[in-house]
Amino acid sequence: MKIDRLEVLAEAYGADLSRWPAHERAFAESLIAADPAARAVLEDAAALDALLDASPRIVASAALTARVLASAPKRKASRGHLGRVFWILGAGWAAAACAGVVAGVGLTSHVTANERADAILYQATLSGVDDTEVLG
Amino acid sequence: MVAVVDPDEDLVRRVGLGDPAASQALVERKLPRILALAQRMLGDAAEAEDVAQEAMLKAWRQAPTWQAGKAKFDTWLHRVALNLCYDRLRRRREIPTDAPPDRPDEGPAPDRGLLAAETGRRVDAALARLPERQREAIVLCHYQELTNIEAAALMEISVEALESLLSRGRRALRAALADLSPRSDGRRAGDGR
Repeated sequence: MKIDRLEVLAEAYGADLSRWPAHERAFAESLIAADPAARAVLEDAAALDALLDASPRIVASAALTARVLASAPKRKASRGHLGRVFWILGAGWAAAACAGVVAGVGLTSHVTANERADAILYQATLSGVDDTEVLG
Repeated sequence: MVAVVDPDEDLVRRVGLGDPAASQALVERKLPRILALAQRMLGDAAEAEDVAQEAMLKAWRQAPTWQAGKAKFDTWLHRVALNLCYDRLRRRREIPTDAPPDRPDEGPAPDRGLLAAETGRRVDAALARLPERQREAIVLCHYQELTNIEAAALMEISVEALESLLSRGRRALRAALADLSPRSDGRRAGDGR
C-alpha cells in the first residue's frame, strides 16, 4: 500500500482501522508502523473522528419504549392441564351424542319399515278384494 | 448461497413466538439504534420517534415469518428505517416549509472552552447540512458502525461510490468544524476514539 491509498482510506473511513476494508488493514498497519507521514494522516483522521463522536448519544424515551413494547407480538393463550381434561371430556360427550343420533336414526327407520308393512297389510284386508278376483 | 450468521436470529425467533422477554431484549438492542439512525438522517426528534416506532412495528409483524440465514435482521431493520426516512425527506422536498428542518449552525462560540454539549450540537448541525447521500454514508459507517459492504448494499451503490461519498462528507464536516479541531489552536490531536 502506498501513502496516497492510505490517505484515501483514512479520508473515507477515519482513523479506526476496524472500519477499513478487511483486506487493506494489514498493509496499512505495516505502513503506519514504518512511515511517520502515514501516522500524521491517521492523526488528522482521528481528530475528525473525535469531533463526530461528540454528537450526543441518542436515547429512546420511556414513553417511546413503552409504546413499542405494547405493540409486540403476544403469545397465544395455551391450554393448561385442566383445560386439556375438559377438552377431552367435552370431546367424549360430543362423540356419545353423535352415536346416539346415529342409533336413533337407525332405530327409527327400522320401526318405520315395520309400521309401513303393517299398514299395507291392513289396507289390503279393508279392501275385501281378493287378488285372485282381481287378477283372475 | 452462503448462510448469513445473524447474532439476532434466536431473539427474533423467540419474538415471533410471542416471548415477552425476547421482545423486551430486542427493543433494548434495536430501538436506540434505529432511533439514532432516524434522528441523524432527519434532524428532527419527533419525526425520528415516529420512524423508529413504525420500523419496530414492521419488525414485530416480520418476526413470526422471519427466515433465518438469508439476511441479517439488523440490516433488514436498517433498510426499513431508511425507507421510512427517505419517504419523509421526499415529502419535505415536495412540500417546502417556511422553517428549515435542519438546525442552524450559529457559528463558532466566542469561548474556546466549549462545553461538550455545545460541540455535540455543532457537530449535529454540520451533519444535518450535508447533502443527504453524504450524510447517509457517514451515519451508516461511522455512527451505525455498519461495514462498508453492508452500507454500500443498503445504499444500493458500489463500495467505491460509498468511499467517495464518505470522503466528500468528511471533508465538508472538517471544513465546517475547523474551529473546533484541537489542531486549530496548535494542540495535537488526541489518541482519537
